[in-house]
Amino acid sequence: MNDLFVAIEHSALSLWMREDPYAYFIALILHAFGMALLVGGGIVLCLRMLGVGSGARLEAFRGFLPVMWLGALLAVVSGVGLLWAYPAKALTNPVFALKFACLIGAVLLTRRAWRIGALSADPRRMAGLALALWFGGVVAGKMLLHTYKVLTVG
Amino acid sequence: MMDAAFLDPEVIAQWGRDSGIAQMMYSRWGWPIVEAFHFIGLCLLFGAVAFFDLRMLGIARGVSLTALHRMIPYGLVGFAVSVTSGLLFFIAVPDQYLYNPAFQTKMALLGLAGLNMVLFYAFAARAVRTTGPDDLPPLRARVFGAVSLLCWLGVMTCGRVITAFRPPWHWCLWC
Repeated sequence: MNDLFVAIEHSALSLWMREDPYAYFIALILHAFGMALLVGGGIVLCLRMLGVGSGARLEAFRGFLPVMWLGALLAVVSGVGLLWAYPAKALTNPVFALKFACLIGAVLLTRRAWRIGALSADPRRMAGLALALWFGGVVAGKMLLHTYKVLTVG
Repeated sequence: MMDAAFLDPEVIAQWGRDSGIAQMMYSRWGWPIVEAFHFIGLCLLFGAVAFFDLRMLGIARGVSLTALHRMIPYGLVGFAVSVTSGLLFFIAVPDQYLYNPAFQTKMALLGLAGLNMVLFYAFAARAVRTTGPDDLPPLRARVFGAVSLLCWLGVMTCGRVITAFRPPWHWCLWC
């Protein structure tokens, strides 16, 4: 694993991300935009399925999905840049895995709640769990800064 | 310029120590826990407000604006959580924020977002209430929506780079 970290750290992209005065911050900002669009949309869907704004048809909320996809794309591309800059920092930290577990779980449970709602059953319990996971993913992401043990290995 | 007592970093920092807030923030998990609340608040705020703005701009037509507006109170709860947690950061190290151009810009954008909100409720909210679920609201409502969205993205950008502009090691056009 260490060899892999060293190889990534010595790659041109990794060096550029660490040494360019703007690259890392631009990636951080784009990551924030992407996560805000993705998670913001997830929260809106969950709130709706919890009964907030139930005067609006659930089916129509599908129109927000492209915005969430755009957010996911931004978050992943910028996230790969951030990961490439400091691979050991993220991949030796269990909180990084927790972040992904929360976000993947949030997506799956939001979809599940959506299907339950589409069958005219009560999606509230599933939507509540999904909402908690959306928040969990964001909080875990924030905690990466406070929990890493290694910055670089090379 | 910064001589009012409530903007004097020494006075604020002293109060932070006397009240125990500074000690709490600098305990092992103080800062991270408050940060977690700050981000939960931000997510709620951005989810409720930005997606209402997006709907006004024509995304997800079919979603009734009146119904979607019922999420705004949750956004306000998020805002309250963010302001409260933000104040705790500020009280712990006021000089790092007061003289920070990213923080100053963030506060200016927050003010602009607030003004934009007041103008929206004064001049566009009534027309938005009568907008059908499949329709676009009038142009002025869309303009308020676009300004709001840009303000919040700007607030997020400034918040993200506050750490890069910590005094005294920074470059700034006006300080």
